[in-house]
Amino acid sequence: MVDLNTADGAKVEFRMSDDGVLLLRWLPGVQIEVEDARAAMAQVNHMCQQEQHAMLVDMAAVASVSREARAIWSIPCRASRIALLGKSPVDRVLANFFLGVHVPPCPTRFFTARNEAMDWLMAHV
Amino acid sequence: MSAGNGVEDPRLQQLVDGIVRLASGALGSRMTPSPRGDDIDAVITGVNLLAEELEYIYSDLEQRVADRTFMLQRAQAELEEMAKTDALTGLANRILLNERIQEAILASADSGTITAVLVLDLDSFKGINDSLGHGAGDIVLVEVARRLRSSVRATDTVARLGGDEFAVVITGSSTDEILLIAHRISEQLQDSVRVGPETVWAMASIGVCIGSSGYPPEALMRDADIAMYQAKAQGRNNVQLFHPDMLAAVRERLRITAELHSAVANGELALCYQPVVELASGKAIGLEALLRWHHPVRGLIMPDSFIRIAEETGLIVELGQWVLHEGVAQLGRWNETAPDLTGFRLHLNLSAAELLRRDLLEDVRDTLARNDVAPGRLVLEITETVLMSRGTAEEQILTGLRDLGVGMQIDDFGTGYSSISYLRTLPADTVKVDHTLIDDLVSDPQQQKFVAAILQLISAAGLKAIVEGIETAEQAAQLEAMGCLYGQGFYYSYPLPPEEVLDQLRSLSERL
Repeated sequence: MVDLNTADGAKVEFRMSDDGVLLLRWLPGVQIEVEDARAAMAQVNHMCQQEQHAMLVDMAAVASVSREARAIWSIPCRASRIALLGKSPVDRVLANFFLGVHVPPCPTRFFTARNEAMDWLMAHV
Repeated sequence: MSAGNGVEDPRLQQLVDGIVRLASGALGSRMTPSPRGDDIDAVITGVNLLAEELEYIYSDLEQRVADRTFMLQRAQAELEEMAKTDALTGLANRILLNERIQEAILASADSGTITAVLVLDLDSFKGINDSLGHGAGDIVLVEVARRLRSSVRATDTVARLGGDEFAVVITGSSTDEILLIAHRISEQLQDSVRVGPETVWAMASIGVCIGSSGYPPEALMRDADIAMYQAKAQGRNNVQLFHPDMLAAVRERLRITAELHSAVANGELALCYQPVVELASGKAIGLEALLRWHHPVRGLIMPDSFIRIAEETGLIVELGQWVLHEGVAQLGRWNETAPDLTGFRLHLNLSAAELLRRDLLEDVRDTLARNDVAPGRLVLEITETVLMSRGTAEEQILTGLRDLGVGMQIDDFGTGYSSISYLRTLPADTVKVDHTLIDDLVSDPQQQKFVAAILQLISAAGLKAIVEGIETAEQAAQLEAMGCLYGQGFYYSYPLPPEEVLDQLRSLSERL
């Protein structure tokens, strides 16, 4: 597990699962700014090394994502596909805004159930 | 919408207020969703996100409009710069120059200072272009522009008016300072210009006009231009300050030019004829046709007053054509009315411009044929300067005329710069010795020797001499004693109107 700390303190956690899925979890209540998104992406690329990995982004209970931060995730990274995991209607709105307004660099979908998200990711590993 | 328990959820009011704020244009306004994360919070989040997008799009559009406006302004400024700049030299062009003159005149009205315009025309630029090509010409123009800029202050405007003509606007200086600048420019242009392996000179005739408050801006340019032409007339490569007398001379020129245009059509031109005489017998062997202008208001105008203007304006070609047609037609009429008097030839003066007429040969041939005049009865008088500087085209026309049988005469010999060695190769049969050479013939033994030498020289070149300007019996006798065969002058006859010519010819024959 890797914590990424910004000036605001820890905002995100990283972990590589045994089956090669990169797990990224935004901590509840965080406000994701462009610096956070940029640092998270750098960490993703770092953990993937030269390989591509499916990635699960747990964004349940994220308070807000700035427009600039959303734009960062339009830049191609080492993730081969991304499952956005949330649970509330707010998460759904946030996720779909990202998907609708920006063009994701790889196949990206929103899920409210972790197992469905993992199944979708693993089906294409 | 309620929170589900029948009580109005305060977030709904917050949502309504937030939307009203956004609708009023406060696109930076945001609402805070509750930690519940339910549908109402989702709507709040969605509205926040939409507002954020709207704000971004709005600001992006504003930025783009600002960028485009800036680009347009810059492009416009560049276009204006191009439209007011001479592309070759980077100097101001005529448009910018006129603006600067207007500004300077306005400013001088407030400050009481004077504004000067200098107009410069390079003296021998055409020769550089013709002999070394336009590339070389451009190099010279750029160098002249550099020297002009270096001769004036940063506040003065240097412009290229086109071709080899430049202008300078000087403000806030005294008359002495302005003339100093004009002479400094002239000095700067005395140095040669290197064009590759060649060395050329680009000296200029400079006209200066100084105007104080109230001087019309367009008059400043016009008068500087007039002064520049005065500098040209004064031998080029000098500076002339405009004086109102110059304007009067120009107006006189313009008047003569305009009136000369209509003189041919209105039948105001006439020819009179002066006999060319064989000195030994006194018999007329030729008649030189001389142009006269019977102006309806000003009366008789002699050629000295209008031929130079006709040459400068190109009207000389039209005049020359009229002289050819009228002179040959008159000769034809004399042939009919006096078949006994055919032993003389008609002498017509031919200008440099006429020699470049493509249809001259054809016109001469047709005119002679139309009037049933043999080509041998016609002699064309051409100045030595024209003959000396003839090009290929002129050479061809001269050869064609000679082949036709028309005689050629070198006119005004002794006034140009003939090379003696060329005398033998010039395409002529006779040489007319200028009257200035015999002015002191009778009283000055040295001049007698000189004229005798010239006559011998002409004879040695295989040519026949005709001395003009003979006014006395002594001159005639002396010339005859020197071996001169032919002459012309008031002693024998003044130029006569055509109706008096035949009687005069008969009278000259009877002198024998």
